[in-house]
Amino acid sequence: MGTTAISPSRILKDLDALWLSLGEEQQHEPPVSGAPGASPVLRACAMTLIAVVDTDDVTVGETLAMLVRSHPSRLIVLTVTSGDAPSLQAGVTAQCWMPFGKRQQICCEQISMSASRVSLQEIPPVIRGLIVPDLPVACWLRGRNLIQTPELDGVIGLADKLIVDSGGVADLSAQIGYISTHEAGARRVCDLAWTRLTRWREAIAQLFDDAVGAERARRLERIRIEYQGAHVPMSAYYLAAWLRHSLARSLKVEIVRVGDFERARVCSVHLAEQATDVSITVTTDRDVQLHAGARDAHTVFPRLSEYELLREELSVLGPDSVYESVIAAVPALLAESEAAPS
Amino acid sequence: MTPSSNPFRDATRFERRVRPCALVIFGANGDLTKRKLIPALYRLAYEHRLPPGFAVVGNSRTEMTHEQFRDKMREAVLEFTEETPFEEKIWNDLATGLYYDSGDLKDAGCYTRIKARLQEIEHSRQTGGNILFYLSTQPSHYRAVIHGLGVANLAKPGNGAWRRIVVEKPFGHDLASARELDDAIPRVFNEEQVYRIDHYLGKETVQNILAFRFGNSIFEPLWNRNYISSVQITAAESIGVEGRGAYYQEAGALRDMIQNHLLQIMATVAMEPPAAFEAQTVRDERAKLLRSIRPFTHDEVRLNAVAGQYGPCRVGGQALAGFREESGVNPEAQTDTYAAVTFTVDNWRWAGVPFYIRSGKRMTKRVTDIAIRFHSAPHSPFQTGNHDSASWAGPNLLVLRVQPEEGITLRFLSKLPGSGMKLRPVEMDFKYGSSFGMRSPAAYETLLVDALTGDATLYTRRDMVEASWEAVHPIMEVWQNTKKEFPNYEAGSWGPKASDEMLGRRGHSWRVP
Ligand SMILES: NC(=O)c1ccc[n+]([C@@H]2O[C@H](COP(=O)([O-])OP(=O)(O)OC[C@H]3O[C@@H](n4cnc5c(N)ncnc54)[C@H](OP(=O)(O)O)[C@@H]3O)[C@@H](O)[C@H]2O)c1
Repeated sequence: MGTTAISPSRILKDLDALWLSLGEEQQHEPPVSGAPGASPVLRACAMTLIAVVDTDDVTVGETLAMLVRSHPSRLIVLTVTSGDAPSLQAGVTAQCWMPFGKRQQICCEQISMSASRVSLQEIPPVIRGLIVPDLPVACWLRGRNLIQTPELDGVIGLADKLIVDSGGVADLSAQIGYISTHEAGARRVCDLAWTRLTRWREAIAQLFDDAVGAERARRLERIRIEYQGAHVPMSAYYLAAWLRHSLARSLKVEIVRVGDFERARVCSVHLAEQATDVSITVTTDRDVQLHAGARDAHTVFPRLSEYELLREELSVLGPDSVYESVIAAVPALLAESEAAPS
Repeated sequence: MTPSSNPFRDATRFERRVRPCALVIFGANGDLTKRKLIPALYRLAYEHRLPPGFAVVGNSRTEMTHEQFRDKMREAVLEFTEETPFEEKIWNDLATGLYYDSGDLKDAGCYTRIKARLQEIEHSRQTGGNILFYLSTQPSHYRAVIHGLGVANLAKPGNGAWRRIVVEKPFGHDLASARELDDAIPRVFNEEQVYRIDHYLGKETVQNILAFRFGNSIFEPLWNRNYISSVQITAAESIGVEGRGAYYQEAGALRDMIQNHLLQIMATVAMEPPAAFEAQTVRDERAKLLRSIRPFTHDEVRLNAVAGQYGPCRVGGQALAGFREESGVNPEAQTDTYAAVTFTVDNWRWAGVPFYIRSGKRMTKRVTDIAIRFHSAPHSPFQTGNHDSASWAGPNLLVLRVQPEEGITLRFLSKLPGSGMKLRPVEMDFKYGSSFGMRSPAAYETLLVDALTGDATLYTRRDMVEASWEAVHPIMEVWQNTKKEFPNYEAGSWGPKASDEMLGRRGHSWRVP
């Protein structure tokens, strides 16, 4: 792959040509009924979404194609290629779909770019020229190896929302440091490891919905979080920080490894007071046992795809005060764990 | 503890979840159940928004087994569900929770049987004693059902469970009957348990009026008599009465559309900003606006309200029957298949601004929209020489489209390319589909979830219903005592000439939507 000069105005012209050709293709289709003069292709866009991916990422296309259906965007897919030689490429395509039961196709534009690490610093001015004016900009750092890449700071700097994924990350202090650094000014950072906890948090909340639960919440004394895997997952600290934040008390927290799993994960949360305890345990991959005093129930946490996680995140473009409090509380929890005798 | 005081609740993230419960539908063999309620429930099941163990108990006169009821409802889902594929597994899960008990609503035994069924379901499906009753039967039965539920002790739960009741429209057929029903309800249900449905309030686009007005800062400063000269609300249908002639003959456009749906839309357009988007505050503001509608004297009715009825006509080579020729309709019927009213609002914001509201059947096309017409520019510098100020195009217009293609259009003037200052009207057009690719939930989905989760924001309240009956009451009185020259408009037209004259008297005209 070589280097071509890529300029925003050239890409924008290519996009215009793309729309023209989409319109022409559709003119051969039967006209849309019910709406006289309506175009058969509806151009949809509510934000700019930049996805930064590794070279070998073959599944991201599918995720993005699903995602634009609920969050129509101008997609900018930036592939960071390996190799030391300067390299820059760009091209345009469209993501189109026909909503079920409708006769009008909806299309979003996609700009695919690739750049080697050394060429990354040339990318921000290009992307700046391609951002849809006055609409939000989200940047999803999808590549596992990209999280601590300073060359990407210029791209991240263009975004109102940065999406990372701490699932699988072992160095939690560095990761929290990274998140806190980028949560600057009006930019918000979110973590798909936190998004995965929504089901857990909802299940916990439901156990405290009634009057008995309310009384129990006031008496809680200890939190025990069990995990499986080679290292403590970020989600364990997120849950602990959230529980403390919600109860507005510095409860004693234990984070304990109870077994192996291919990817570190929380498998059980116990909230104890003197008389009874409340627990939520993942028994198999998805089955969940809820226990509150004498009451037992069973539920299922459906396995969420990356698309579903992103769909939730992009619905929260404003402040997420709960997550912000959690991020602020995690460093203290990490320090407590380091100080505790192992 | 209520969910909102639970310290673990996260309003930003957690979806409103329906807790385990049962839904009892009175009128389960009827049109509304088949067309709207069951398809909405299927759609909610498709999106995993119903709790495990969710149950429906259907009641009507026709004898049916549970299995026959399930089969009938399956057919209804296949026929009436739009924009969602049918998945056998989703349906089967939902169908296992469907039960049916036939019985006459006038018979007390009917309620005892339903009670026994609900007790059985509470154990087998763990519904926790939570029940939503849905009145989807003839309005003449509403009082009997409410009484029956009271006698069977089904309205008041124990053990922290809840009981609610949804009352379908029409809520009374005039002010007196609405009050009678309102007086009967509190003998059995508290006001907080009652959900009076107006499905227009559940439409995404109607809710969006609030987002548009109160989520942005640029429109609200213009939203008053200083900038707005008139408001037009149109709800036109191209179809006729479609086999429901007998029902419609008793209702008419004023009762069927204006008294409820369109006055609720008007209240949404004209109400003051609520302090919070909560049931009490939003409904307080809507009610306040409805109470501010100036009541007509009988003489004023003649100048500000027009009734119409469509006659036979040929459209595009097809012969269309007039209303009086429709099956089940009295050939002398005095029913208004079209109604147009000029309302005014007695408050500082709207003093002197006419709200023109019209609704009709067999009109040119199916459309519901709200057009806000602004005052003309106080002075145009483009009226001299070979310039063209395009004053013929009329002033700025903001159109909020409710259906068929939801969106917002702003009409303003722009310069025609070329020499000279020739202005032409252009449109800035926003379509919901182009920003939100996802499907909007149907009104009944939204409203069912709201009732099942105890959120009454989009439901009407006793004072709102009575205020809207009061607004149309003088019109109904005059029309009842006047023999109207019907038919007075052709099918496929935009209504009777008298309606154009009504606006003409104020120097306005209906826009063509
Ligand atoms: N259809 C709509 O699109 C629509 C829209 C908005 C509001 N609504 C309102 O919703 C309500 C129902 O409308 P609909 O169109 O569904 O009416 P419908 O088709 O006439 O159905 C009426 C239902 O009530 C049952 N019923 C009548 N008398 C009964 C009795 N004595 N005991 C037990 N059940 C009895 C009927 O049972 P059998 O069939 O077994 O006799 C039938 O299931 C009405 O208030 C209507 O104004 C309807």
